[in-house]
Amino acid sequence: MNESLAMKPRDYKSGIKPIWCPGCGHFSVLNAITKAAAACGLAKDDTVLVSGIGCSSRLPAYVDSYGFHGVHGRGLAVAQGLKVARPDLTVIALGGDGDGFSIGGNHFMHACRRNVNITYIAMDNEVYGMTKGQASPTSPEDWEGSKLTPHGPGVRPFKPAAMALASGAPWIARGYSGNPNQIARLLAEAMAFPGFSFLHVLSQCITFCPQQTDWKAIVSDFEEEPLSRADEAAALFLSEDGFKTGLLYREPRAIWPPEAAPAEDAKLVLRDLASVFQR
Amino acid sequence: MMTDTYLTFLAYSTELEQESQERYLEIAESMATHGNDEVAGFFHRMADEAGNHLAEVSLLCEGAELPPIKAWEFQWPDAEPPETTSYEALHYRMSLHDAMTLALANERAAEQFYRDYAHNSTDAEVINTANEFADEEKSHAQALELMLEDVPVVSELAREEDDPPMMPE
Repeated sequence: MNESLAMKPRDYKSGIKPIWCPGCGHFSVLNAITKAAAACGLAKDDTVLVSGIGCSSRLPAYVDSYGFHGVHGRGLAVAQGLKVARPDLTVIALGGDGDGFSIGGNHFMHACRRNVNITYIAMDNEVYGMTKGQASPTSPEDWEGSKLTPHGPGVRPFKPAAMALASGAPWIARGYSGNPNQIARLLAEAMAFPGFSFLHVLSQCITFCPQQTDWKAIVSDFEEEPLSRADEAAALFLSEDGFKTGLLYREPRAIWPPEAAPAEDAKLVLRDLASVFQR
Repeated sequence: MMTDTYLTFLAYSTELEQESQERYLEIAESMATHGNDEVAGFFHRMADEAGNHLAEVSLLCEGAELPPIKAWEFQWPDAEPPETTSYEALHYRMSLHDAMTLALANERAAEQFYRDYAHNSTDAEVINTANEFADEEKSHAQALELMLEDVPVVSELAREEDDPPMMPE
């Protein structure tokens, strides 16, 4: 048996204790990642987690694999570059709603369009938690929890699934942090999917958005087969309440780049890059 | 020779106790990180209790090959195993009374799960062991009920905000 197949979820934890608030939904995503890693027998040396900046972007430090805690909103850019250079690796990009849909919004759209074979987990708590609770791109229009926007942000929240679909993402799912086993299952499917897989996780911030404890009663399972027609998916994403969980859309298409770079070429590129930094 | 149904029951018991222990420990550590030492200490003790029960289950599993069930393939009454504390029920300012009430609900849920498992099984070994585990969970619940009588009722978030939430860089 492959050594990695015998590993338990806890074997994938780094031993660094998360600094997240008790009750934070990001704990659930961390546990889902380690469960999916154990179930799929991921080799630690062949797995890379890449993040941006924010509470959720701390996650790579808590997993015993390779990791890169990058620049705000640029996790996807680094992750795609890495996958193109090293197609043999399992690459997971992750971050929060501010990191992914505001600061990194442009990268998000183009990652969906480009369709590099990576998985992107957006841990959406509808707030900038690390900077103490300002409205984010997904905050409800009337959310009055921030002193900066005491009457609510007053603008319509970003719809991640609709934006991903419009930008060309071929695999779109939604999970909820109250159900880490569901996230783990979706993540296992996402990693097996050939192409860009977007996993949107409703991950509550009980410190700055205590009303999100109500999510447990609101979320529902998407009980149909995943949609494969973009027009049907668009109709769903533009009309639903944003709380349907499960694999929502799946329509494989050609990944980019068309032919993965040979490993030798990739090594040469990396060596050249390394020499730049050594100057 | 263990029956398949008994091995499946042991797989469920192992998962239930392991998840419970790991979640309690995770919560204890995060409570300590955020300065709620009283509640951290309590959850550490609960992790120890779950660990003891896990050790008992592990003894029963010795020499057996449990069925390889993935985390999401277990069929629980709710999203997670019955003794696993839900994340959304937590808060860094929660009181000891809140924490104990939460743990009590976990123990009762575990008792009910084992009782139902016994009720729905026709395997004598499963029925006996499941009822034993249910009795054990019941005794934990009773112990917590007694302890709760001596703990002042403090409503959720009533603790003084002596250290506002922050994420130091």
